[in-house]
Amino acid sequence: MSGKKLEPFTIVSIIGVSFAVLACAIPFWMIISGSLTSESELATTGYSLFPAAFDLTAYKMIFTGPAVLDAYFASVFITVVGTALSLAVTSGLSWVIARRLPGISRPLTVFSYLPMLFSGGLVPLYLLVTQYLKLQNSYFSVILPLLVMPFLVFVQVSAFRQLPESIFESAKIDGAGELRIFFTIAIPLSKPILAVVGLFYAVHYWNDWFMALLFIDDVHKFPLPLVLQNLISNISFTQMLPQLAEAATPVYQLRLALTTVAIGPILLAYPFAQRYFVKGITLGATKG
Amino acid sequence: MSTLQTRPEPQTRPPSGAPDRRRVRRRAVRTNWTIGLLALPAVVFFLVFSYLPMSGLVVAFKEFDVNLGIFGSPWNGLENFTYFLESGDAARILFNTLFLNILFLGATLAAGMVLAIMLNEIRSTFFKRVSQSVVFFPYFVSPVVISIILQVLLAGASGGGGAVNDALGGLGFPAVDWYTEPGPWPWILTVVKIWQLGGYLSVIFLAAITGIPEEVYEAGTIDGASRAQMAWRITLPLLKPTAAVLLVLGVGRIFYGDFGTIYAIVGDNGTLFDSTDVIDTYVFRALRQLGDFGTTAAIGLFQSVVGFVLVVIAVLIQRKYSKETSVL
Repeated sequence: MSGKKLEPFTIVSIIGVSFAVLACAIPFWMIISGSLTSESELATTGYSLFPAAFDLTAYKMIFTGPAVLDAYFASVFITVVGTALSLAVTSGLSWVIARRLPGISRPLTVFSYLPMLFSGGLVPLYLLVTQYLKLQNSYFSVILPLLVMPFLVFVQVSAFRQLPESIFESAKIDGAGELRIFFTIAIPLSKPILAVVGLFYAVHYWNDWFMALLFIDDVHKFPLPLVLQNLISNISFTQMLPQLAEAATPVYQLRLALTTVAIGPILLAYPFAQRYFVKGITLGATKG
Repeated sequence: MSTLQTRPEPQTRPPSGAPDRRRVRRRAVRTNWTIGLLALPAVVFFLVFSYLPMSGLVVAFKEFDVNLGIFGSPWNGLENFTYFLESGDAARILFNTLFLNILFLGATLAAGMVLAIMLNEIRSTFFKRVSQSVVFFPYFVSPVVISIILQVLLAGASGGGGAVNDALGGLGFPAVDWYTEPGPWPWILTVVKIWQLGGYLSVIFLAAITGIPEEVYEAGTIDGASRAQMAWRITLPLLKPTAAVLLVLGVGRIFYGDFGTIYAIVGDNGTLFDSTDVIDTYVFRALRQLGDFGTTAAIGLFQSVVGFVLVVIAVLIQRKYSKETSVL
């Protein structure tokens, strides 16, 4: 298959993939470059691939004012606590399903996947969280409704099923109970898949803005994406930032800088996380 | 065109005779309760956040009053449903929801498949790995970030210009005021979905390609097939089962408007509603601006029922054609 000269289709493929790569990378580059361009430059010449005049005003505003730090705290809290809880709950459920226990596993599977197909919709959820659980303006109003993603249960179950059954059998013969097998054998053996599922949840929580939009009204508790959304839809949020004496708020530059700040952690973690992601979705998709 | 048979799935459960099964059951009964503890938090979660809201759907048949609560409010029969259907918005919203979702589903699956086949052609491991990482990345950014990227491309700073208009100008076309023009938006959103999900889906398809046995391609080589012919006649047909699974999963969501992305991008920009308003965005607006719980719950119920029926139909059709890849 190798060593021969390139066929036309291979050349077309290389060009096609290169094009896709550029289409995916350039928008991010433009955001970063724009965030380093001064507001007046943005207004006169528009966006460009390289900042003509290097300018850090927006970043100074972001990191000196409390608003963005609050948002960062909110996002980190939601992501860390949410991921930990989700991972614990998902693992427990997946393990019970993966064990194929007669009379338990199958009903539990149906019970868990049915909500994927039929849901109460927005209104009952809204009433539940606001009227009955009274979770408005709590970070848990974002965490709890997103706690279990059925797709990731899928992934966990198929990963658990790949563990060799004989280990559990022998542990059982040695007198280990179900809980002990789970905590001291299954969990330590599943670290890679826990990383995968955890990363998926983390991205999910980090990017969520819909739950926050529904349930959080207090601007001091907004997570990052919601702050960004607010910067787009109403400029008044910028009033929460410290005014630099010399100029008006650089709204456009600020937007881009904040976007960069929001993408930043994902971008940094990505090179390490990516191979886990690939493993995760191929586990979930090719054999459900 | 002869379609190659997919390999049969390995039998996962050992064939069990009747006495065997009885013994397993007796052993399981003893372990039931401890293992139940592990699933308990998830069960509680589903009961509270999935099954309890289903009972809240009775709001669809009530004249909801916050002070009286869900179960205290008076019944009003099908009034909420007729109100929505007669409001004049119904036809437009249903059309948009279906049209956009079918467009998204078809386009993203096709793009993912093409991208996977192209990636598979690349021999340089380094280039392949890097490009796979880059095209996968958009999946990980928030819809809000996508919305900002779109503004950079389409509107530019202070509403004028934008990179796309600059490019159009360079080619001699007039600039378009994108955010007041509903016409192109279904296509813009489709491009956004491809951009967001193409890389993600290509990873799934690429994994399926890796599972195709090497001998099939060797046979192709002996028959003198070119790379293009192999992609068209071998890889593509063998990707069908994977595509079918993804399709069935997607069909269930066809009545849900992908709220996060659409609302992040369009927001409350009323001039674009003609082509972009879908069930979910409509419900959200109605809920927030009008506080009309009854009607919005009625729409939600309608959405769930139709979605459920669609999934069942999709699964049945898929079962008929390829039983071994069925998801349910």
